[in-house]
Amino acid sequence: MRETTMPWRGIKALIQRRLSGRGTLPWLVPVLILMAWQITVQAGWLSTRILPAPWAVVTAGWGLLLSGELLEHLGASTARAASGFVIGGSIGFFFGLINGAYRLAENLFDTTLQMVRNVPHLALIPLVILWFGIGEEGKLFLVALGVFFPIYLNTFHGIRSVPPDLIEMGRSYGLRGWALFRQVILPGALPNILVGVRYALGFTWLTLIVAETISATSGIGYMAMNAREFLQTDVVVLAILLYAALGKAADMAARAMERRWLRWNKSFLAA
Amino acid sequence: MKRIEQSPGLQAGVTQRDKTMGIRDNGLEVRLEAVQRRFGERIVIDNLTTRFAAGEFITVVGRSGCGKSTLLRLLAGLDAAQGGQLYADGRPLKEAIGDVRIMYQDARLLPWRSVVNNVALGLTGKRDIVRALALEALSQVGLADRADEWPENLSGGQRQRVALARALVHRPRLLLLDEPLGALDALTRIEMHRLIERIWREHRFTAVLVTHDVSEAVVLADRILLIEDGQVALDQMVELARPRARGDAAFAQLEGQVLDRLLTVRALEQRNQIRGRVSAIRADEVLAEVEVEITGQEGRRDKVVSTLTVRNLREHALEVGSEVLAIFKPNEVALALVDTTATANTEEHAVAQERAVA
Repeated sequence: MRETTMPWRGIKALIQRRLSGRGTLPWLVPVLILMAWQITVQAGWLSTRILPAPWAVVTAGWGLLLSGELLEHLGASTARAASGFVIGGSIGFFFGLINGAYRLAENLFDTTLQMVRNVPHLALIPLVILWFGIGEEGKLFLVALGVFFPIYLNTFHGIRSVPPDLIEMGRSYGLRGWALFRQVILPGALPNILVGVRYALGFTWLTLIVAETISATSGIGYMAMNAREFLQTDVVVLAILLYAALGKAADMAARAMERRWLRWNKSFLAA
Repeated sequence: MKRIEQSPGLQAGVTQRDKTMGIRDNGLEVRLEAVQRRFGERIVIDNLTTRFAAGEFITVVGRSGCGKSTLLRLLAGLDAAQGGQLYADGRPLKEAIGDVRIMYQDARLLPWRSVVNNVALGLTGKRDIVRALALEALSQVGLADRADEWPENLSGGQRQRVALARALVHRPRLLLLDEPLGALDALTRIEMHRLIERIWREHRFTAVLVTHDVSEAVVLADRILLIEDGQVALDQMVELARPRARGDAAFAQLEGQVLDRLLTVRALEQRNQIRGRVSAIRADEVLAEVEVEITGQEGRRDKVVSTLTVRNLREHALEVGSEVLAIFKPNEVALALVDTTATANTEEHAVAQERAVA
């Protein structure tokens, strides 16, 4: 009895060790799904018009990469996202700062901003097309608007949630103006600001997807809409996956920032 | 200023100390003249006049809400007096505020700065010089080896030591300590007492420590100020040799003396008390309401109600018709029996044995 159970236990332990490592186990389900997907399409159970096989998406991506088209569209989208984020983010950061720091500014601006916040920025698309046509400005405007509010709200809240005790302590140790802001207020508000950045990055890509799909002459959204006209479902799926990857990349960048700047904060390190 | 129980020879004692020791030249000499601070209607510091000699260690004791922390905030320049003057070395205190540092109840370290960078807060100059200064201060409090850790990884006592180093690095001439040891365990407190005393001797600054712990006050102080209703109620020199042993008889006697004084209801102030007669007592199982008929100025009759516990009521021969003194305090009416030896009080049971007021 003993001799037969021992090797079986050894194999079981081996499998458990292999699979329970955090590195491999979480990937098991996605890989199975991809395999099932590939098989259903190859067996002809699922029309390629509805969903292309994963492998077809990969080859389409490879083809576009070789022709240079992929990088061109990717570059155009990324540039839009980045500049929209910078513009909207800085304006939001600015208003968050002054409204957080000065009651007068809060009284003057906050109510207006809160009212505007209730307008879904994507609802402005028809108006934006009328104003800017289908050029770059309209898309930048939409992205900037989408980024503005999460950054504004979280910066504002962050500044307000800096413990007054610490500010008082800073003052009594001779910190004034810029020094007080840089050494006490900004680091204290940073956890909240970075939460805002993460939200804003999500909004950036969401806004861009919609804006590029409706009116564009370049970018991933344009690539997808073009492919739709020629029934290239593989390119459409590729575009969707690209958006997902870019969103993930942006999120990872935000997390890296948090890890870098919030090292002192245990609750962030755990996340 | 009414009824300040000044220890005899206070002035002489201080001047003599200054002369004999002669080394207390680093500390600021602080004078308060008729200082007043109100919050709305409430007078927290009432016409307070006192003088802290250079290099003196003063502890301020008093019940919570007596104005002792407010006094400290005035000295730190965190709060402005509404009347009176504060002087440091003969000049307005404001001009010397750079020489004043405060340690708070909580350490108030910046969690996003390493220990050594917390100590360096507010220092300017070359990076390595600033760091060296901060490290030196840290080694004085025995924490040089934790310099590059986050404050989060330190214990409460260690954090307060870092806060002390942060204050020391500025070479303060007046160090204000706002109950900095209140949250520490007994053993750590004793360690901190030794540390603070040692550092005070080395740096020779003037120290003002606010505390509610009388034994802490006696351990550290040259002079104990008891603040009550915003005024100095007791000004007691502590002549015990340092370092002081808590078990010592003289120590215990002084501690008892200050504690007794602290627990006394200050029903001595004429303007806050009115004679009256108990007109009704309503009691349930726990609380009793005693209605007192009083005759105010101009012969106007009025009624006040004092709430106390039934147990407290039983301990004192309080019945309808008893002559009492109603003492008006900011948030309650205390009663004192006239011509007996008991005081009834709503919140402060310890007060019950106090001498009666006549």
